[in-house]
Amino acid sequence: MKKNIYKHEFKMNLRSVIIWSIAVAVLLFVYISLFSSIAVDTELLNEMLAEFPEELLLAFGMENMDLASVLGYFSFLFLFVQICLAIQASYYGFSLVSIEERELTADFLLAKPVGRTQILTSKLLAALSGLLITNIVVWVSSFILVEIFKGDRTYDTQALILLLLGLFVFQLFFLSVGLVISLLVKRVRNVTPYAMALAFGMYVLSAFGDMLGESKFENITPFKHFDPGYIVQNAAYNLPLVSISLVVIVISLVGSYLLYARRNIPAPV
Amino acid sequence: MNIFIRELKANLRSLIIWGVIVILFVVIGISKFSAYEGNPEMLAILDQMPPAMLDAFNMNAFNLTTVSGFFGVMFTYFALIASISAAMWGSDIISKEERDKTVEFSLTLPITRSRVVTAKTLAVLVNCIGLLLITWGASLASVAQYQPDSEFYAFLRLSMLALFIMQLIFLAIGIFLGCAMKQYRRASSVAVALLLGTYFLSIISGLHENLEFLKYLSPFKYFDAGVLLRESKFDATFLLISAGIIVLSMVGAYLTYSRRDLYI
Repeated sequence: MKKNIYKHEFKMNLRSVIIWSIAVAVLLFVYISLFSSIAVDTELLNEMLAEFPEELLLAFGMENMDLASVLGYFSFLFLFVQICLAIQASYYGFSLVSIEERELTADFLLAKPVGRTQILTSKLLAALSGLLITNIVVWVSSFILVEIFKGDRTYDTQALILLLLGLFVFQLFFLSVGLVISLLVKRVRNVTPYAMALAFGMYVLSAFGDMLGESKFENITPFKHFDPGYIVQNAAYNLPLVSISLVVIVISLVGSYLLYARRNIPAPV
Repeated sequence: MNIFIRELKANLRSLIIWGVIVILFVVIGISKFSAYEGNPEMLAILDQMPPAMLDAFNMNAFNLTTVSGFFGVMFTYFALIASISAAMWGSDIISKEERDKTVEFSLTLPITRSRVVTAKTLAVLVNCIGLLLITWGASLASVAQYQPDSEFYAFLRLSMLALFIMQLIFLAIGIFLGCAMKQYRRASSVAVALLLGTYFLSIISGLHENLEFLKYLSPFKYFDAGVLLRESKFDATFLLISAGIIVLSMVGAYLTYSRRDLYI
């Protein structure tokens, strides 16, 4: 790792990290503050959720969810947090090295007496630090907000911790997959459509997969691996599925190093 | 005219990709519908759902066992797809020149900057209309087997018009961002942020009655498919707000682009 590359990358990212962290914290605040007004009709809601058609519950990941309990409600809003964080991580992944080629700074960077492996490591660590900061903000604000708005209800702390800790691996998935795709294609013109496609595509896959009854195919999406409903109910990860995430992360990272080491860099005209 | 044709060609691939997404979505949706169609049990279940939940996902007042009701639910997702594509196209069409370092070339051509904006706007407008027609065609083709009545076709026309206005709103905002942002990279990020923000707002505004006022801030709430289905007309207030947003964004786009510094 080269300290100056890391520092530069981190600084470039810092603004975006802060904006994302604040945005997600605000999202959490808005949703959690609504909890007390929604949970008032506890009995009513529970009765009615039991009557929901299964397709609908599956679409919004509510098949084993109890909106009147603290964590039940939290896992409902957690899906929106996951969508945001997935977009953030894939955005960082796609832009990590492709930005150098787009801004025509790649030849400058690669002409420095630093190996490509080192460059990639420094860049990855900088992006990871950014994601870690966002995660910490989400962890802290979730705990504080849940404590403030839970009223006299209780909740399972361990399940909440598991839910929140899973976020980091969840983001790592999108970061590494985004990175390896950006190295597989010839040129990334604009990062946003790629990032939106990866993050939203995975979400839609997990939402619609159940309804179509294709339970094998949807296993590729991390929205299934870190299904908040499952984690809250069992206070544990769905380990076989989480390991799929881990395997994908390792493969994409190794692939990225291999691809980047021998990548052709188009020179500016 | 040259710019217009050039941009149409450059955007064709993107239009095809979005078209395929819409068609896939319609196919998946209609396969879900086959489970609901004419099923009285399902209707009884829907009647018992908590109103907050139904409002949040815009499923209120929809009879999911009929084609119109089901299409009303699909409308929310159509709106999401159409507005994402419009915002992307709008913010990209202007800012991509700076990204690809072609802006110095195109602005030295013997035409004014406002003509460049006009040509580019028309090109993405054609793209939006193309996507709308694809959505319309796919919907018509998919529901044909259920032989809907003329009321459904009237509702479909109306909701397509609503979709078009939403496309225009996000297109205009996107173009304005592309013209006004000093750094090209920000344009599409801000457009996406606005889109996600207003979408989440539209969900929140449905959750609780005290938050109803938020609907004025979210274009996703301007055209409620439930109201369209029942009353077969648009709400004049929201039409005015939409027109205001579109006109202001376009005027802002022309003003800022003709006097901006280029990011080179």
